[in-house]
Amino acid sequence: MTIQIELRGVNKHYGSFHALKDIDLSIAEGTFVALVGPSGCGKSTLLRSLAGLEKISTGDLKIAGQQMNGVPPRKRDVAMVFQSYALYPHMTVEENLTYSLRIRGVAKAQAKKAAADVAATTGLSHLLGRYPRELSGGQRQRVAMSRAIIRHPKAFLFDEPLSNLDAALRVHMRKEIRALHDRLHATSVYVTHDQIEAMTMADHVVVMRDGIIEQQGKPLDLYDMPVNKFVAGFIGSPAMNFIPATVGDDGKTLTLDLGTVRGTLAVSRTLQPGRKITVGIRPEHIGIAASGQGSFDVPVAVVESTGFTAFITAATTPELIVVETGRSAVRPGDMVGVRISPDQLHLFDDVTGVRV
Amino acid sequence: MNGTTTRDRLMLAVAVVMAAIYLFPLYWMYITALKSGSEVFATPPSFWPAAPQWSTYAFVWESRNMGRYLWNSLVIAVGSVALISVLGVGCAYVLARYRNAWVDVGLFLILMLQVLPASLMITPIFVGFSQLGVLEYPRLAVVIAIAAKSMPFFVVLVRATFMSVPQELEEAALVDGNSRIGAFFSIVLPLARNGILVSALLIFMQAFGEFVYSKSIIQAAELQPASVGLNSFMGPNTNEWNNIMAYATMYVTPILAIFVLLQRRIVSGLTSGALK
Amino acid sequence: MKSFFSSMRDGLGFDIALVAFALGFLLLMSGLPLVYNVVMSFQEVDMFSLGTFSRPFVGLRNYIDLFAQPETYPILLNTLIFVVGSIAGQFLIGFGLALFFWVNFPGASWLRGLFLVSWVMPGLVAGAIWNWILSGDFGVLNFILRETGLIDANIFWRSDPDYSLYAVILANIWLGTSFNMILLSVGLSGIPGDLYEAAELDGANAWQRFWTITLPMMRSTIGAIIALGLIFTLQQFDLFAAITSGGPNNASNVTQYWAWELSFRQYDFGKGATVSVVMIVFVMLAAVVYVRSTRHEVRG
Repeated sequence: MTIQIELRGVNKHYGSFHALKDIDLSIAEGTFVALVGPSGCGKSTLLRSLAGLEKISTGDLKIAGQQMNGVPPRKRDVAMVFQSYALYPHMTVEENLTYSLRIRGVAKAQAKKAAADVAATTGLSHLLGRYPRELSGGQRQRVAMSRAIIRHPKAFLFDEPLSNLDAALRVHMRKEIRALHDRLHATSVYVTHDQIEAMTMADHVVVMRDGIIEQQGKPLDLYDMPVNKFVAGFIGSPAMNFIPATVGDDGKTLTLDLGTVRGTLAVSRTLQPGRKITVGIRPEHIGIAASGQGSFDVPVAVVESTGFTAFITAATTPELIVVETGRSAVRPGDMVGVRISPDQLHLFDDVTGVRV
Repeated sequence: MNGTTTRDRLMLAVAVVMAAIYLFPLYWMYITALKSGSEVFATPPSFWPAAPQWSTYAFVWESRNMGRYLWNSLVIAVGSVALISVLGVGCAYVLARYRNAWVDVGLFLILMLQVLPASLMITPIFVGFSQLGVLEYPRLAVVIAIAAKSMPFFVVLVRATFMSVPQELEEAALVDGNSRIGAFFSIVLPLARNGILVSALLIFMQAFGEFVYSKSIIQAAELQPASVGLNSFMGPNTNEWNNIMAYATMYVTPILAIFVLLQRRIVSGLTSGALK
Repeated sequence: MKSFFSSMRDGLGFDIALVAFALGFLLLMSGLPLVYNVVMSFQEVDMFSLGTFSRPFVGLRNYIDLFAQPETYPILLNTLIFVVGSIAGQFLIGFGLALFFWVNFPGASWLRGLFLVSWVMPGLVAGAIWNWILSGDFGVLNFILRETGLIDANIFWRSDPDYSLYAVILANIWLGTSFNMILLSVGLSGIPGDLYEAAELDGANAWQRFWTITLPMMRSTIGAIIALGLIFTLQQFDLFAAITSGGPNNASNVTQYWAWELSFRQYDFGKGATVSVVMIVFVMLAAVVYVRSTRHEVRG
């Protein structure tokens, strides 16, 4: 596997604002990489730096082995799908698709044929003569994608391409983009703030915050072994429960501080007695049992049922959220036992948030 | 349902009456131009000419040499629009694309220079131009003065137009393989075309009716524009009001026709810039 | 060198060049005269010293002479009356019309736009028409006023010192009202409709809604329009040239016309520059108010 995109020690400053801090990232040819993080984390800046729309302040940026630091966008041979699609409103769909070819001096007949071919695969054949304003949101999205595909670029860059679609279409397009990637075997970099998109679409997920890469790896590795509290809280939905706890005198038990409730859990390894720790438990890893049957009992505050799953919120501080599959028999005001398996606990340092 | 249509009709009627009152001076210009020399001074004044004197137009056109005056106005207006467009479009584009302290300073400067009254600025401009010898080319001198005066207005309007073209379109063109200049000409300019044309048209109308600079700078009658010609036609104790109004009619009717035809675009272009 | 050209094509160099061109021209043709104006106000400049650069500096004498002249204060007062009268008339009538056309009925926007013809007309033509309308013996305005019984004898609008300034104000109100109306209409349409619905549910009647919603929401627009009106009013020259020429005996003279007269009628360019400097200071103050209120508009 050759490396298609490589960043070494990349920094970006806007005046006094440090948008990207020492970014190191290697993307193998043909992989689908998702950059994910809250707004302002630098993921879009990173993508735009790859496209050449932003100039990086320091560091090295290589695409297909070539140094790209000062190279203008037009010489990078990458294609980008914008959040707003950025379809040229004064051009028909066909003209939008062939724009990049025409700039490169491709013969008209050849460009037209290329447009027809791409349109056939993306289902736009009957729309080639229309203007962008005459298309639906989903169709515009397809045109934006086709405009990228037609070029056979070294890399596809996606900047939150699904955020303007409604929920149903978004789920559909998610699969379509992934299928497209599998067919073209192109290198893709996909920016999103939606961790579900990142988890479901990408081969490799990069979680960013405040201009730093917090963690990168395979989607399920991030889910199973988050390196810190931020990644743990960001990946997974509903979000992980975080509970302050103290290690017991024997070093093998944890006392959870849930306000009025104190719960004790056994851990599978030995910790320094008396140490303060933040315990992370995913809502889907907590089981509900009859009162007294679980690890400890909590009072139930709210039960929200979607039919298939039920979200149970316990009246504790901090709130403990539990996801139960199927119809729940639990009612607000009940005392229920919670069952927690020691090997599904995530332990983080109380101060630094780093995984223990 | 019926209630709203009645109300609509009533409102429309009132609006038409108000417009008629407001536009009465224009009506009076057109009517006076068609009156005979004696009918102009009739008491009570007639609100409809007894016998329209269409020949007044030909007479005034010939005797006042209007062709020459209008030609000079046209030369000055076209020259001003050309100079302002060449200098102003690029400037407006850049000021629309960046948001930083430098742009704010540039905009502030431009707005400040826009407000200087021409009748106050003509003194230093005239003295400076006479020292530099620019007054040898009086129409060019007027074009430069008008450009300096009107360009800020143009830049503010065109900047608003450029701001309505999403930056992402331009970025898409860059990623698609175009250079900045190429993207500007193939994407940004076509999309901003209407706004630029309307702004240029407003500048044209302003320059076509410009008076202070022309009056002060152009001494030779054969180079003066129609506004100066009208001014010298009026004199202090004139009684040729039908002829003067015929002159005024021939001068403004083309402008008014353009305005009424393109009214919607002009008004929206004007309002987009003036308050932003 | 290569990077310089690539910067011209792709980078910041291209942008800076575009702005520098335009700003350079403006500074040269507008900024420099502004400075030169101040310099000349400290010099003696007449027809003879026009062509040379070595002109005698006279210190503050132009300013001292200016304020010693008997016509100075009346002209400054005239300017004040002209500005206040014009802006008040343009704004109030313009606001009234804007509120009327705010009620949407078919044809409203087209008719409203038609009012703007007064604004696109060359000032000198508008002045010529008003000159004729305001004529003493044969003017149609006097006829209408007589017929409606408002006056008994003709008013000599242009030659009566008591009326000549108001004749120009009247013409200027006509000229500027439409522009005020259009801008106010834009401001009105920018107020979200649900605010009025909420106020109505809260029990406010039309009058209360105007005072508690419309006016406060329009504050920055109104500020901008009044500042803009001040700027335009101080630029008004053509109407004076076409209607009264500042007469009779300076009764309708204002500073912006007077400065021109001093330079181009009496060829005392130094004095003309002095009046200009005094006025430009006022205009700049108005401009700052305008820029500030539009800023406010942009940032919302």
